[in-house]
Amino acid sequence: MAEAWIRGKSATLDAAVAEAANLLAASRLPVIAGLGTDVAGARAAITLARCVGGVVDHMHSDALLRDLDVMREAGMMVTTPNEAHVRADVLLLVGPGLIEAWPALPEKLFAKRRIVWLCPDDAAKTASTYGNIAVVGASRADLPAIVALLRARCAGRPVADGFFATSTIDTLVAELKRARFGVAIWSAVQLDSLTIEMLCGLVSDLNEGTRFTGLPLPADDNCAAVQQVAAWMTGFPLRTGFGRGVAEHDPWRFEASRLVDSGEADCALWMSAYSEQRPAWKRDLPLIALTGNPRALNSYVAIFVGRPGIDHDGVEHLVATATLAAVAARHPRIAVSVAGVLDQIIKKLSAARPC
Amino acid sequence: MLIRLAGGHVIDPANNRNAIGDIFIRDGRVVDAPAGGTIDETYDISNTIVMAGGIDIHSHIAGSNETMGRLLLPEQRSPSSFHPGHYPRPAGSWNTFETGCAYAAMGFTTVVEPAVLPHQALQAHLELADVPLIDKATLTVLGNDDFLLNLLRQRESSGATRDYVAWTLNTSRGLGIKVINAGGAAAFKDNLRAFSLDDEVPEYGVSSRAIVRALQQAVNELKLPHRLHVHCNNLGLSGNVETALATIDAAESLPLHLAHLQFYGYGKDGPRGFSSAGARLAEAVNAAKSVTIDVGQVMFGQTVTVSCDVLRQFNARNRARPRKWVICDGDSNGGGIVPYDYRPTDFFNAVQWAVGLELFLLINDPWRVFFTTDHPNGAPFTAYPDILALLMDRDLRAEWMSRLPKDALEVTTLLSIAREYSLFDIAIMTRAAPAKLLGLTDRGHLGVGALADISVYRPEGDKAKMFREAALVFKDGELVVRDGAVLHLRFGRTLRANPDYESAIRLRMRDYYQERYGLSPDFMMVADGAIGRPDPFEIIPCLN
Repeated sequence: MAEAWIRGKSATLDAAVAEAANLLAASRLPVIAGLGTDVAGARAAITLARCVGGVVDHMHSDALLRDLDVMREAGMMVTTPNEAHVRADVLLLVGPGLIEAWPALPEKLFAKRRIVWLCPDDAAKTASTYGNIAVVGASRADLPAIVALLRARCAGRPVADGFFATSTIDTLVAELKRARFGVAIWSAVQLDSLTIEMLCGLVSDLNEGTRFTGLPLPADDNCAAVQQVAAWMTGFPLRTGFGRGVAEHDPWRFEASRLVDSGEADCALWMSAYSEQRPAWKRDLPLIALTGNPRALNSYVAIFVGRPGIDHDGVEHLVATATLAAVAARHPRIAVSVAGVLDQIIKKLSAARPC
Repeated sequence: MLIRLAGGHVIDPANNRNAIGDIFIRDGRVVDAPAGGTIDETYDISNTIVMAGGIDIHSHIAGSNETMGRLLLPEQRSPSSFHPGHYPRPAGSWNTFETGCAYAAMGFTTVVEPAVLPHQALQAHLELADVPLIDKATLTVLGNDDFLLNLLRQRESSGATRDYVAWTLNTSRGLGIKVINAGGAAAFKDNLRAFSLDDEVPEYGVSSRAIVRALQQAVNELKLPHRLHVHCNNLGLSGNVETALATIDAAESLPLHLAHLQFYGYGKDGPRGFSSAGARLAEAVNAAKSVTIDVGQVMFGQTVTVSCDVLRQFNARNRARPRKWVICDGDSNGGGIVPYDYRPTDFFNAVQWAVGLELFLLINDPWRVFFTTDHPNGAPFTAYPDILALLMDRDLRAEWMSRLPKDALEVTTLLSIAREYSLFDIAIMTRAAPAKLLGLTDRGHLGVGALADISVYRPEGDKAKMFREAALVFKDGELVVRDGAVLHLRFGRTLRANPDYESAIRLRMRDYYQERYGLSPDFMMVADGAIGRPDPFEIIPCLN
């Protein structure tokens, strides 16, 4: 049984879809945001954005773009958790938030290899919890400097001894250079672009002599998959707009929160099917909410949607293989999916004019 | 609904037809001329050339690597590059919709994505589902995977390899098998920086030659619709013609397809230690009747190289233009994205351009040489019309050569070649022969029963213009392109093979994935229901 509401009052799914279509059709610039959805939902969201001249942005675009900016400015060497599992002899864990980003990390990768963790969430606790992990750096504020020192010493450049003991850095550099297949792991949720760039530069430099590679752990809410879908459908990652009839990408111009708070956007469609994330913007505007608890948001149209992989089948990013995989519903029930709702909205809109 | 295409010059090499005549279409197929009855729609196509829809056997149009290329190079898509119905030529970062439209506008109706890693197959098929108008197929990549290398190390029976190949092809929904620098990606993970045909993969003790041989034998025994598709070792290196010649020798009398051979046509002669070995290579191909090749023609301009040959891409990373790249050590595999700008003033790039044309012009059987740029590696596929024009017109070639570095042309034989392709040759190379190579009996020709994938071209003095904008294109009997402009979007299907295997391999793979990765192999199964479009696949039967 579908559950939908219009201005807080219970409504049929059909009526809610019609109201959402009206809001989107009347909008000068709708933002299609959140995008916490499976691949089918992302495909439908981008089709819809193209149809209404809207903007697509993911709730975790900041983290996505930190990794992406490094890649598209400088380049990157990467591997998959699977390959790290079967081959890595040395792991360089970089910064906090890694287990949060991938809870299976200790189980999958912490056994049977040399592990160094730079500036973990809690240095003392990490050292006591994982006896086999060497901790370097206590405060995350030190991380950019430590990574820079590692890269400088790896290239044989002199560094000042004041900030951090050069002997510690040199010992670590020697260890990294001795690795047969080393893997540096980080989460862009917690690092800034410059640190990631320095780290990727270090990984690249290490390949002058040995094999070393990187493993960026993606943020949540299926953002890695949604970014792939955006790229194949539009040629661009997220923060892409169709307002001028063609896809245009601009990380500043098409940031959903900025568009809403500045008043440029006059309608928003918010999707969060994996978790009950709320939009980060402050301004009220006509909102269509597609979540597992849509009435928690102050919305014109609220439609309950199921969670992919729990309530209905879906395709999503699988961390272990760093690729897309089909996920069967664990507790299948008759629940509307994001794609199901969006496809109906698109059908309504295209009855008026072709999408 | 009966449609008549009236009075065009029909060029249909598979049926040995090369004359003015009519074509009739009913229910998406070519039919006999009706004895009587009404014709619902007639297109007067007098003064045009009619061919079956073009078939591209090797073009990297979908999958994680291509999308990585899109993410790497946002600046290569200017906002002005997409106007519905009109396609200029940006470099490598097409989106899926533009890809389908641009192919259809040129009269191509079937395209093979030739490098899908088994673990990434679902993404490739999802991307292909968003490529409109054309039909698609994929080649599944094996040859660097731990499971196969272990089978060979342990000298298991050829039956075990065969079952594994068939199982992988089924899970990944591929039409055929490709091997890319066999063993090279695995060797690179062990820090080898060069890898040739008789080198052994560390820890496995299996040579590249043995991997190719085992896969060639398995593909042959399974009677897959497409023969083993090989990307040789040492791509792009000076003197690598020896590797290509050795690989041709190793084919013995079994069928083998060598991909983008241009990238292996390099000798070490001349003042720069880099010369064309195109003539020598063409001679070897002419003599080896069981071997087919595609060219991988280079054209000048910005593009992006996208390849699972991670060893080659790693070694090429410092020549990236612009200077950025992605190198991926994937699951039992790898890949690399390196943007590149082929320059007409560059000695090496000019030699590469000439080697490709030498192969086209010196391999004398158009049924065994295939038309590719290895999109986007040699050039974007939108350069095809210009290449066709170069093949058909020696004066045009001379004009191009007059603008290229003389010292580059001097280490090639291109200046001495007078051959010109006829339209009949072009129809063989881009229609009849690809259908035969891929085991597609109802494509690539216009005989009764053929799929009504038909392209109609208006003859022009400017051959490139003629092939750039087809006058009419029919897909499954439906008109989809007029004067190079797409009329409306429809979505095709993906062709796949469905070979038999002993069911025991399923259990074995389940145990293997559990032990190696702690995962069920279900994640790599491409189910019809996950694709999101009705009837996404068509099964192509194995050979009799």
